Amino acid sequence: MREAVSRSLRSPRVLVALGLILGIAGCAVFAPLLAPHDPGEQNLVSILLPPAWASGGDPAFPLGTDSLGRCVASRLIHGARTAMTVAVLASLGAMLIGSILAHVSGYFGGAVDWIIGRAVDIWMSFPPVILSLILMFGLGVGLDRVILAIILVDWTRFCRVLRAEVLVVTRRDYVAAARLLGFSHWRTITREVLPATLPLLITLVSLEMAIAVVVEAILSFVGFGVRADQPAWGQMIADARQYVYQSPSNLLLPIFAIFLTVAAFNLLGDGLRRTLDVRLTEIGR
Amino acid sequence: MITTVFTLLGRRLLAAVPILLIVSALLFCALRVLPVDPAAMSLPPTATIAEVEAKRREMGLDRPLPQQYLIWLKDAVHGDFGTSIVFRRQAGSLVAETLPATIELAGLAMAIATVLGIGGGLLLFYLRGRIFELVADMGSILLLSIPEFLWGLILLFLFGVVLQLLPFTGRLSPGLSQPHITGFLLLDALLARRFDIFWSAGQHLILPAAALGLAFSPAIMRVLRSSLFDVYQEDYIEQARLRGVSERRILLGHAFKNAALPTMTLAGVQFGFLFSGTLLVEVIYSYPGMGNLMVDAVRNADLPLIQTVGLTYCVVVLLINTAVDSLYVLLNPKLRVR
Repeated sequence: MREAVSRSLRSPRVLVALGLILGIAGCAVFAPLLAPHDPGEQNLVSILLPPAWASGGDPAFPLGTDSLGRCVASRLIHGARTAMTVAVLASLGAMLIGSILAHVSGYFGGAVDWIIGRAVDIWMSFPPVILSLILMFGLGVGLDRVILAIILVDWTRFCRVLRAEVLVVTRRDYVAAARLLGFSHWRTITREVLPATLPLLITLVSLEMAIAVVVEAILSFVGFGVRADQPAWGQMIADARQYVYQSPSNLLLPIFAIFLTVAAFNLLGDGLRRTLDVRLTEIGR
Repeated sequence: MITTVFTLLGRRLLAAVPILLIVSALLFCALRVLPVDPAAMSLPPTATIAEVEAKRREMGLDRPLPQQYLIWLKDAVHGDFGTSIVFRRQAGSLVAETLPATIELAGLAMAIATVLGIGGGLLLFYLRGRIFELVADMGSILLLSIPEFLWGLILLFLFGVVLQLLPFTGRLSPGLSQPHITGFLLLDALLARRFDIFWSAGQHLILPAAALGLAFSPAIMRVLRSSLFDVYQEDYIEQARLRGVSERRILLGHAFKNAALPTMTLAGVQFGFLFSGTLLVEVIYSYPGMGNLMVDAVRNADLPLIQTVGLTYCVVVLLINTAVDSLYVLLNPKLRVR
């Protein structure tokens, strides 16, 4: 494992991706220190200002202001906080539920496997966008609800892909040997099976973070994401879409922020997949 | 050959029925346990508690949940999906009006995704080489990181706002009205010989369809490329080369046919995702399809409409997956022998 980690850290893909992610995470953690203004502070005398370098720009608002005169730079930085919180918590939650069920399902087989397998099938016959909209309708808006909705939609990704891997690993001789030595089921799964499925699990988590960022942006864009007083990239896009002629940069900046974050997580996932030697045929979206 | 197609398709469709029943029951229960009262919502705010109670009885909301579901199912089988609270019309007919627009969008988008995916995949493989491969690989990861929702906004900005080449709201230019024959606008315009309408509809359709197509092509591209790499490990490629077959012919005539199968499976799975992806693109382009209907329904807590539209999405995706499965078995000679 240690060898695999050092191999990953020598991969340029992983390094570039980690650099980007650390940068975005830094913005998220230190948002109140980095942002020049409070993200909710409205300056109705200076609405839709262009970035500071353009003519008519105000140096107090480095990237301009939105339709309510709120500082775009501050909202972008605080939006990173929303996006990263969702990315980390939602993907860990989905990973936890999905991988526990996958290990139980693949290791024990039989009726348990059948039930979990059918549950995944039925769950996946709901298109993800529709399912998350219906869930947000039921749960109401808010950061915690967005995270919960993503967990409830995406645990199946982990479950389906990991189960196949657990099935292969469980058939290996050393797992049978562990059972013969008198290891309990719990100990066999955590000590023998899990280390073998861990590379795939880590890769899936990083890909899921990319998905979570997109879903959060989508939900906020449609108006069923975080609460209105919480800055989010999707909300910024929805607002800028209405004033696209007056202030094109307001639309392009959050688009770029989402793209950069998603690309960083995808690049990390791809780099990990290569260096940890994970066979991942089912990419899915 | 034709009969095998139909028996296969029939068997798969039959297998999809239980899934559909469970999905509809889950959707029904999930929407009923919510703290939203459809009876109170369909009455004016001045209604008395007694009136709301009477309405609840009329709508069958006082009965146990399983019984409510069976009543709903019976009505649904007869084509009655309940009345939309906001639009005060049959939810089923609202879906029937918007579904063709969404299918038209998804169909064109899939065509664009397939053409770009296959063309790109072949080109990537043809140009394989150390430096180029790395560039292409990075490029495809970056492309994979642009979801349909961002493509929609980027294309809208580029072609609608900056270049002002194409319209980006609705389905037709103001002043034109849709000839109602099938509901599929492009087809109806041709049937009515209204080429001005066809042109306008095409212009309105191209940006949203391209946004979806661009978002789904990189996955197809990547799978085709990696399947081509697999196929080129086979002996018959070397053999063809020894027989003096040109490289171009080996790629297009021998390798592509064999690499097409895994690519098609993925493209089929993607089509299911693409269909539900139309929702966002429709919202961005104010395209009057099922996606905007769904968002309206959720915004207004219109339970019967949410249920009908949500179920329609599930049914269409299920149908697509069933069709793709059958097609896969049909095209793969290894699976045909029993």
